[in-house]
Amino acid sequence: MVSSSAPTADKLILALPKGRILEEAMPLVNRVGIVPEPAFDDPHSRQLRFATNNPGVDVIRVRSFDVATFVAFGAAHLGIAGNDVLMEFGYSELLAPLDLGIGACRLSVAEPAALRAEEDPASWSHIRVATKYPEITRRHFAARGVQAECIKLNGAMELAPALGLCRRIVDLVSSGSTLKANGLVEVETIAPITSRLVANRTAMKVRAREMNAWIEKFQEVCNGSSA
Amino acid sequence: MAPSSDTSAQALLPNGLRDLLPPDAFSLTRASGRLMAVFAAHGYERVEPPLIEFEESLFSGAGHSASANSFRVMDPISRRMMGLRQDMTPQVARIAASRLRDAPRPLRLAYGGTVLRVQGTQLRPDRQTTQVGFELVGQNGTEALGEVVLVALDALEQLDIGPVTLDLVCPALVPALCEAAGLDPVTAERVREALGQKDLKAVETLVPAGQAAVFTALARAMGPVERAVEVLESLALPAQAAVHRDALLDMARRVLAFIGSGNVTVDPFEFRGFEYKTGPAFSFFARGARGELGRGGAYVNSFGGVNEPCCGVSLYLETLVEITGRSPECPRILVDPATSLAGRRALQDKGFVTVTSPGAPLDGDEARRLNCARWLSPEGDIRDASPPPVCGQAS
Repeated sequence: MVSSSAPTADKLILALPKGRILEEAMPLVNRVGIVPEPAFDDPHSRQLRFATNNPGVDVIRVRSFDVATFVAFGAAHLGIAGNDVLMEFGYSELLAPLDLGIGACRLSVAEPAALRAEEDPASWSHIRVATKYPEITRRHFAARGVQAECIKLNGAMELAPALGLCRRIVDLVSSGSTLKANGLVEVETIAPITSRLVANRTAMKVRAREMNAWIEKFQEVCNGSSA
Repeated sequence: MAPSSDTSAQALLPNGLRDLLPPDAFSLTRASGRLMAVFAAHGYERVEPPLIEFEESLFSGAGHSASANSFRVMDPISRRMMGLRQDMTPQVARIAASRLRDAPRPLRLAYGGTVLRVQGTQLRPDRQTTQVGFELVGQNGTEALGEVVLVALDALEQLDIGPVTLDLVCPALVPALCEAAGLDPVTAERVREALGQKDLKAVETLVPAGQAAVFTALARAMGPVERAVEVLESLALPAQAAVHRDALLDMARRVLAFIGSGNVTVDPFEFRGFEYKTGPAFSFFARGARGELGRGGAYVNSFGGVNEPCCGVSLYLETLVEITGRSPECPRILVDPATSLAGRRALQDKGFVTVTSPGAPLDGDEARRLNCARWLSPEGDIRDASPPPVCGQAS
């Protein structure tokens, strides 16, 4: 059962998220002294796991939601993930010891500008929302006594209200220009979002010295960049 | 022969439940036997409470936190609700406080058995697991805790699972700090959750900077024990929190005197899985394992209104067996069904497992079919089974 991971058991695996956050994360990763092999930067490479300049460390590149899953189950030891992902999963095995301060944006509720004027939120008992974050959305509305029926989408949430899929969306907003371009207004912020360094709980115990050393390096690099 | 789809569908088990097959089922029993033998050697005597009992007793005292995650059935005879045990510790506490209340203290009791929970965890979705452990009733000071840790480590050593990490925790420390800071219960719970995830950033958004400072300082005590002891010693804490901190430090020093600091860590923020632990506590981890191997610590047994100090440990057998190296299996030998018991015992004494195949020829092919490496010829010679057929060749 464990044997499949045995050959690489002693390597430390760092899980990095594809897309938006990666660009901001790589300078930090490089500055703590982890430089992946050249194939990592090759857009045509089909490789998913990469060696680094440090023989004890490999990096993997996966979707941001999957970073949380890989680290929570101990398949990766460290990772970088937004707290949107952490809030959505609520994995108890995932520790978030450091705010990297990158990938800043917010998780918000948005709706068509016209709808704003005609509805009274206090009268809601049930609403329908398109989102990539059904758990956070349900929890957010449940806290004020409203049942949220969530339609899970994986992207292009902003299309949903215009096409009649639903009237509201819950999505990440950074500049707000995508919302504006689709005739939506931000009506409420659920949480501010930044990327965190995440760590597997068991790894924090059985490889305590090594894991603490990496977290401290990331901490120093973050302090250095914010000063 | 492929099974019909009806058979396959009927074989479906409810979520979180499974059949254990050879050799895993035997591994579980063997591991349990080894652990129980170590407990017995240290004077812990076995008790065997029932699988199911009235909910008033099962969920009183230490069992209170188990109530929400336990299966219940109604007893058609007494018309009272019964609960299926989700944790054996409250049952042992009940026995200690009732039937064995007059037995001399400290009372040492060991237990092992199946427990059932409504929902597993993300990491361990299993609803049925096996719990093996022991309780030291009547004491929960540093010396008692030290003994419990030592005996548990001794037992774990019998399982061939590689180095075990001992994580020392104090689940009452953060609540004491929150109370001293005057936080309301809702905020205190959020702070505790956030600290459980080591998310100090979230704590800073929940409490004023002046109050967050103590948690930030405490965070430096997380990790290898040497540094943790230094950090904990240097902290100025409010009275009640200092009492908990000192108890944690005492346990750390006691344990270090026994086993050295190599694989010992401290986590001042951990609280999950320690719901009824009032004093210092601990858990075991190992590389390759999913989550804790076991947990233990100091608590107060309040069953029947008598508050008695206790400490103990529970080990999670399935988690342990997953990382236990497979021991070499005994070789199987095919013998004639007419072989006498004495004849079979003679082979078994040589380390063989004897197998017969009633109604089948006694030869090398039959031995191979039944996964026997050898067979006993009618002349009494031990012969090798036929070699496996080579793929692609007609046999």
